[in-house]
Amino acid sequence: MSTLRPTRLGAIVLLIASLAGLAIALYAYFVPLTGVTGTLGALVAILACLALGVLALLLAAVKQKKAAILLRVLILLGLLGTFFAGMLLHQWWICAAMGVGFIGLILDMVRPSHHAQPAHA
Amino acid sequence: MPTFSVTKRPHFTPATLGWRTATALVLCLSPMPLLAQDSPDEPANSPENSSENSPANSAAEATNTAPIPLVPGEPIWDSFHGQLNAQKYSPLDQINADNVGELEKVWEIHTGDVADGSGDLPATVWSATPVFANDTLYIGTPFYRIIALDPASGEEKWSFDTQSSLEALTQPALKNRGVAYWEADDPVAGESCQKIIYMGTMDARLFAVDADSGEPCQGFADNGVLNANQWNDTNDKWPLSLLQPPTVVGDRLILGWAGMDWAYEEAPPGTVFSINARTGELEWTFQALSDQMREQSGTANVWTHMSADEELGLVYLPVSSPSPNYWGGNRTEEVPLGTSTTALDIETGEVVWSRQWVHHDIWDYDINSAPTLMDITVDGEEIPALIQATKMGFLFVVNRETGEEVWPIEERPVPGGDGAVEGEVYAPTQPFPTKPAPLMDQSEKPKVWALADAVSFGQCSALWEDLRYEGMYTPPTTEGEGTLGFPISAGGVQWGGVAFDPESQTAVVNTSHIVQHVRLYGRELYESANRASGNESGFASQEGAPYGMRLEVALNRLGMPCWEPPFGELVALDMTTGDIKWRRPLGASQQYGFYMPESWGSPTIGGPAVTAGNVIFIGASMDAKVRAYSLESGEELWSDQSEAPSVSNPAVYEYEGRQYVAFVSGGNTILKNQVGDQVAVYALPE
Repeated sequence: MSTLRPTRLGAIVLLIASLAGLAIALYAYFVPLTGVTGTLGALVAILACLALGVLALLLAAVKQKKAAILLRVLILLGLLGTFFAGMLLHQWWICAAMGVGFIGLILDMVRPSHHAQPAHA
Repeated sequence: MPTFSVTKRPHFTPATLGWRTATALVLCLSPMPLLAQDSPDEPANSPENSSENSPANSAAEATNTAPIPLVPGEPIWDSFHGQLNAQKYSPLDQINADNVGELEKVWEIHTGDVADGSGDLPATVWSATPVFANDTLYIGTPFYRIIALDPASGEEKWSFDTQSSLEALTQPALKNRGVAYWEADDPVAGESCQKIIYMGTMDARLFAVDADSGEPCQGFADNGVLNANQWNDTNDKWPLSLLQPPTVVGDRLILGWAGMDWAYEEAPPGTVFSINARTGELEWTFQALSDQMREQSGTANVWTHMSADEELGLVYLPVSSPSPNYWGGNRTEEVPLGTSTTALDIETGEVVWSRQWVHHDIWDYDINSAPTLMDITVDGEEIPALIQATKMGFLFVVNRETGEEVWPIEERPVPGGDGAVEGEVYAPTQPFPTKPAPLMDQSEKPKVWALADAVSFGQCSALWEDLRYEGMYTPPTTEGEGTLGFPISAGGVQWGGVAFDPESQTAVVNTSHIVQHVRLYGRELYESANRASGNESGFASQEGAPYGMRLEVALNRLGMPCWEPPFGELVALDMTTGDIKWRRPLGASQQYGFYMPESWGSPTIGGPAVTAGNVIFIGASMDAKVRAYSLESGEELWSDQSEAPSVSNPAVYEYEGRQYVAFVSGGNTILKNQVGDQVAVYALPE
């Protein structure tokens, strides 16, 4: 079992939350009668969740501390923005997903950093 | 007892000329407007000969149809406003305030008749009220098809395609407000067209089809098709579009029409036609303009539904403003029937009484909804009344037999011109109701919304400073950014009108709070201006007049309203006192899919229905939700998402012992760029 795994837990949670948000946003955009079907707002939520997913992958992969901090800041802004967008779109499950993503971010921040202490398998 | 009480006659004061610079545009919403028309060979009752009206009683004697009970014993929803009295009231109470939260969608259909304007077809605007009659639900579509549906399942019984051209010949969109229904007093079994569905088209044809089969009624006009344009003989700039179904009164179809907004100084003059429901023969016409005014002006037509009291023998016309809309130099004489509620004798079309709500209308304040008839008890006296909602946000309440006011309606001085507009005259006074209170406070310039101002870096404040406003009825100008209107043509109450619960004597109305600004452009400047325009907004030429115009909603560059919320409300009035019982924001505004807080409300198009279950049903909001509210408290009790804003009146009906509520969700680009083709029907779980 890799010693990296616990340190990546936060990023994995974040990735899952982003993908969940993406699924919900896709549903909201494409399925009729969601109230936001085909709207620019729902499209923005899709793109934001996609971006968060990519950032989560980068966070899991990044080795440098400064880069990790930068990613965390971007992710935090992304989570807040997408949470707010979800709220305005009345897509409460997107808000919930962003909440979970925030927990992932916290986990990533409080766990021992794999960036600072590269593990040896 | 005022007959033909065109209230006080205003003295007009001349104005001078002037003009100035131009500017750009933003977005928009606004109302709908004018229509005009003309009658051929008919002894129309022009205002001049109508003053000594036939008393209502004699009209009643002449009418042999059964009276309409104002507190109906049976549920009726067989016309645009549910009932001929336009109460939009159902005595059904299976669905009530206690259980409405359990409502579920029992069926929905999509007609397929929808366009968003991105392709070859103009956008659709669908405001049809489903009509329940003959154990069938009938709808008209913006592609001018009639569809008959099973009321319980939505299964199609038949459909009829008028094959009408799908061109925006007059209005900027393909519009339809549904169908009308007529049946013979004693239908002959096995004989067709004893029950008829009527629907008009934008190209001025009225179709009559058998309600059971959908087959054209050969005995009606020309094999089931009446060409209303045969009567378009004055300033025939456009066809007399029949977007609103006719008002069926006894064996008569009372037919108005719609035209092109703000386009011409001289336009088809407003004529209303009474047509035999069986044969399509013209029986009488009503003209709102004098012969002279018909030539040099136009419109003052009836483009929305009418209401009628068959017992009194009266039909009530909401009459629009004369053309052009924002300049009146070609109609400096009095036009007493313009922008009025006018009561006609159903038998003859003669004017029994008329009340003008805007003198010398230069704001496009068309009277745009059928007055709602009601019996109310005021100070212990039972009064046969009607309430006329208006774009201005005023509610006028008068005795429907005589036109006399129930609560005082005062002629108050209003702002004159600034001397910049050539040839214009101004009414020194306008009618102001003392009760009910105006639905919005137009007495002062509305405050700039700090949030919209801040995020636009002061754009709203700057706009406000450039807009003239000296109170309600501040006239249009060429100066600065023009004149602010709160509202102008988009605000107040639209064609959904007022609903009324006759048991509690409560009136319910939805309203919009919208600030617009209008500016006149001298012809030369207008020709060089950027004249992009949208649906009922932007630039319009008023061709023939010395001024073109531009009308816009006061939005910042982000599309946010520059004035403070709420942007729309639902209001309940105690009609025994004229006081407001409650008011609350209605729905939510929505931009790009993002909902704004519900406390801000939404502009509204469409109207309410009320039931004996103490429930109000309404769509009308930007967020495309349909809702139920408590009639007692205004509390929201239920909602569901629909495909597009339900810019129509709901229908409430009972079929095989089950109560249903039907909404048409078609959207209106005036409100939001979202269109739909959905009919959704709700009921309690079985």
